[in-house]
Amino acid sequence: MANENNPLVALSDAMAEAVAKAGASTVLVDARRRLPASGIGYAADLVLTADHVVERDDDIHILLPDGSQRKASVAGRDPGNDLAVLRIEGGGVLAAETAPQAARVGQIALALGRPSEEGIQASLGVVSAIGGPVRTGRGGLLEQYLRTDTIPYPGFSGGPLVDAAGRVLGLNTSGLAHGGVALTIPTGLAWQVAEALAQHGHVRRGYLGVRSQAVEIPAALRQALGRQQEYGLLLVGVEDDSPASRGGLLVGDILVGLGGEPIDDPDVLLARLIGNLVGQSTAVEVLRGGQPLTVQVTIGERK
Amino acid sequence: MSPLQNPFLNGASEALADATTEVVRRVQRSLVVVHNGPEVTVQSEGRRAVVQHNGHHGVGGGIVWKSNGSSGAYILTNYHVVAGGRQLRIELEDGREYPVQPVAEDPEIDLALLHVEVPNLPAVPVADSRTLRVGQLVMAVGHPWGQRGYVTAGLVSSLTKARTRGPRGEVEVIRSDARLAPGNSGGPLVNAGGGVVGINTMIVGGDQGIAVPSHVATEFVHKALEKAVV
Repeated sequence: MANENNPLVALSDAMAEAVAKAGASTVLVDARRRLPASGIGYAADLVLTADHVVERDDDIHILLPDGSQRKASVAGRDPGNDLAVLRIEGGGVLAAETAPQAARVGQIALALGRPSEEGIQASLGVVSAIGGPVRTGRGGLLEQYLRTDTIPYPGFSGGPLVDAAGRVLGLNTSGLAHGGVALTIPTGLAWQVAEALAQHGHVRRGYLGVRSQAVEIPAALRQALGRQQEYGLLLVGVEDDSPASRGGLLVGDILVGLGGEPIDDPDVLLARLIGNLVGQSTAVEVLRGGQPLTVQVTIGERK
Repeated sequence: MSPLQNPFLNGASEALADATTEVVRRVQRSLVVVHNGPEVTVQSEGRRAVVQHNGHHGVGGGIVWKSNGSSGAYILTNYHVVAGGRQLRIELEDGREYPVQPVAEDPEIDLALLHVEVPNLPAVPVADSRTLRVGQLVMAVGHPWGQRGYVTAGLVSSLTKARTRGPRGEVEVIRSDARLAPGNSGGPLVNAGGGVVGINTMIVGGDQGIAVPSHVATEFVHKALEKAVV
């Protein structure tokens, strides 16, 4: 079989192209004592990486794909999600292209890293599972994560998981799960955190001021709600002078939605409160006295 | 229940599967088993088969690297597969065994060249490993855990150098994420076009492979045959 007509050769070359393309925005991050780790170009002067590989705040060095060195400083950290953004002196970083669609189970994926000066490194696999929300070993809450069967070579933390066209599906890290199991933080979440870190230096987490527990919504109430939602959050406590009390939420309400999204689990509520809801007047949907009711709550910030 | 329909099947995946099968078939023709040690004899004793195993017996892969037509062929394998070998022999796909003579060895790059007097063995196509790129598909073929002609796939993970104990000091190596096991040693790493790009040599981190690039192997064979010519 001639190589020009061999689809396997075409696939092989396409994967090498994907590595070359994504590798051009994958940098070496030297911010710990042992083996350096990897980072993803977020903007010309910003690199997104894993928080756990940035063990020091000073004397951080970046090696760009063209072999040039840059000094870097920490622009922001989100230890809970194991993400950090570094600001690069002199810029020159190529921002990575993100995948237009979220990752799908079964999709071919490549894990990339640049832990040495010898060039880009890669491992092949597929997206094995999509999970979350999950509480991380670092006290955070990961809204969603990807698992793959790529090999997490040493120093791959902070590097990208890319699709067959070299577009970023997520950031790889072995620092989130117990036992160093490698996970991938999906691009949607990672980029959202990166934006917050670049702007504020930390991730703003919303604060309602309620204590709750998940309860099953009775069939009759489900009908009143007008959707097939099995669980809601029974409010068992509302703090005085909190956003929740100012908005008129009461003990005994069953919280079922926030900002137009259904809420059926305390972890889902926590995940929804991360990001740009802080300071915003937000619709909170509850069941009270057997009837759905929407109240407006101005979300506070958890300090 | 109707069978599962895949609306995205347009022949592309079948063509890929066919191409993969073709690549594997071509390589397996040139793959041999290298035995290092006394022949294992099976004796029937009543209803139980007793395997007589006298001391050291190593098994690895080998590749028909160069055919000399009617006068025999040269087999390339790892030095560590044949090191200290007595009664070295190869086993062909059909199970026939033949004694081999060592021609050259280089422990520093873990390669050994053997000669076998079997006519018309098919030599493997050799590709130039200097044109390899990280991300390209590779397949490893060998005999892990004694399983004949076993195939694993992955990609070129990195192109790097490994330190050696010898005059070179270091040698270029191909690191791949194709899963390997003992018995893959001496077997080929091939590219998507079916050409040998490396000789699987070492397993690191549990199951990932390190291969000696084909251009290093080609140079070794070239020098060995220059010396061997009489």
